[in-house]
Amino acid sequence: MLGPAIAWYLVVGSAIFAIGAAGVMLRRNPLIMLLSLELMLNGANLVLIAFARRHGSLDGQVFALAVMAVAAAEVVVGLGLVVAMARRKIEIDVDLLSRLRK
Amino acid sequence: MIRTPAIDWLTLAPSLALLAATIASLMSAVLVPERRRKNVSWFFCLAGYAGAFAAAAILFDRSPHSRGVIANALFRDRYGALAAMIVAGVGLLTTLVYYGERSTVDRVGERFALLASAGGGMILFAQSANLLTLFLGLEWLSISLYVLCALERERPEAIEAGFKYLIVGGFSSAILVFGAAFVYGATGTLNLAQIAGKAPSGDLFLVTGLAMILVGFAFKASAAPFHTWTPDVYQGAATPVSGFMAGATKAVALLVALRVLSLSFSAQEHLWTSAAAVLAVASLVVGNLAALVQRDLKRMLAYSSISHAGFLLFAIAAASSLGTRALLYYLIPYGAASVGVFALAALHERELGEPATLDNLAGFGWRRPLSGIALWIFMLSFAGFPLTGGFVGKVYLFAAAYRSGWTWLLIVGAVATLVSLGYYLAVVRAIYMRPVPDEEAAAKEEPPLLDRMLSTAVFAAVVVTVGSFFAVQPLIDLAKHAASQLPL
Repeated sequence: MLGPAIAWYLVVGSAIFAIGAAGVMLRRNPLIMLLSLELMLNGANLVLIAFARRHGSLDGQVFALAVMAVAAAEVVVGLGLVVAMARRKIEIDVDLLSRLRK
Repeated sequence: MIRTPAIDWLTLAPSLALLAATIASLMSAVLVPERRRKNVSWFFCLAGYAGAFAAAAILFDRSPHSRGVIANALFRDRYGALAAMIVAGVGLLTTLVYYGERSTVDRVGERFALLASAGGGMILFAQSANLLTLFLGLEWLSISLYVLCALERERPEAIEAGFKYLIVGGFSSAILVFGAAFVYGATGTLNLAQIAGKAPSGDLFLVTGLAMILVGFAFKASAAPFHTWTPDVYQGAATPVSGFMAGATKAVALLVALRVLSLSFSAQEHLWTSAAAVLAVASLVVGNLAALVQRDLKRMLAYSSISHAGFLLFAIAAASSLGTRALLYYLIPYGAASVGVFALAALHERELGEPATLDNLAGFGWRRPLSGIALWIFMLSFAGFPLTGGFVGKVYLFAAAYRSGWTWLLIVGAVATLVSLGYYLAVVRAIYMRPVPDEEAAAKEEPPLLDRMLSTAVFAAVVVTVGSFFAVQPLIDLAKHAASQLPL
């Protein structure tokens, strides 16, 4: 098999996922949060593709393609909401999104 | 030349009916003249749910044996068909309630399209037989619900609810995909039925994957400690939509979780039953204690739905055929009562023009005797009183937990039921026994708002809630047929 061992892909994929998860939990800017969500999904994609290669089956790659399509749909909705917030002058800071807590 | 798999159209029929309804209502939102737009879109959505219910009933009848269809992407079985019937029933009632919801923006066609679309996703999710279709179904329903929450974009609360739901929902699906990737890595297959037995039961990748998949489901079922989005989203979304999420989303999330766990992770049963018990206790504690101090009706109901996730998790902790039957049965009266109670909250909101709280509910039961009685019945069903389906469901769930040896879980459940009386009966007290301020009484002299659609939905919900107590046997037979197709 060419290239680095599968384990390295898993390490990189998990690291990207962890960075994304930390970003969603720690950052407060909606745009950065959406970006971090994408990072999480792409970390999962890398892991899926690495395992697909290890097993020599295509299932994982098909899954990764589906995840990409879904991630794009999710971001479309997310960006739409960010634009709607900006238009209504709702603060683009999640800490201030607390109208619902009274 | 690629061989295409044989398509089993009957299995696809329930979600296809709703997909067709989505397209038809979306097109009519554009093509039909504005005057009749709402009625036409609404009609397609209602027809879609009615069609999905009928198709699911036929599918139930004609699938005595569980098997994978369409290249093993979906299950054709009674378990999925019954889940589809519950979703379609809840969706049908929600469509009736949603008809009269006022809108600040001209989005009356889109809302019915999205409602139908969310139902279609739920049904595909409930029937999924591999991790890929499971993920696609989950995202189909979730993305529809994100938009549905934020649809009233003139209300800042709605956008806020939609955005919060999107971030938390996306986070939980990412965790689920990551877990699925590890399960795939350990076993080399995405097929739910083939995962079991492919790897040693203590395999690190497999157990990591299992844990992450479980967390993903817990988010969707709003079980504590993964519940934090629930109150905000239920409060911010349009009230009928909150009812739909409480009744249908939670139901499919739990049903699919039970299917995946029992089918693919039978070797790790001791792990996930303990995890389910911990989640159940956390949900009961958090849901009940937080519900006690809420004044806003929708927020209180959100916490009540978290505590119900706790009760329903008893079935997963029990991991038995009895538990599966209990879960399937309980979701019927629970779904009906959820839609019904949110419908009454919507009615009250429309009259007042402000969110329903325990304070402004004063006198509701005297002003609208029938609606008051309906609200009373729903509360008693949530609390688990006899003469409502909630009673049978709770007894059944407790029995399942007891049989599987969860005695301490039973004690927690009993205490939680007692505590829950505090806030369920507070609603009954508020609508009958609170003095109505004079000026408010004067303002309410005008005849109460009449909404035939909403009344029909509430009436149907009452019939199901009470009827499931008196017609226990047929419903339990249905649940038994469905439950026998899980390997428990």
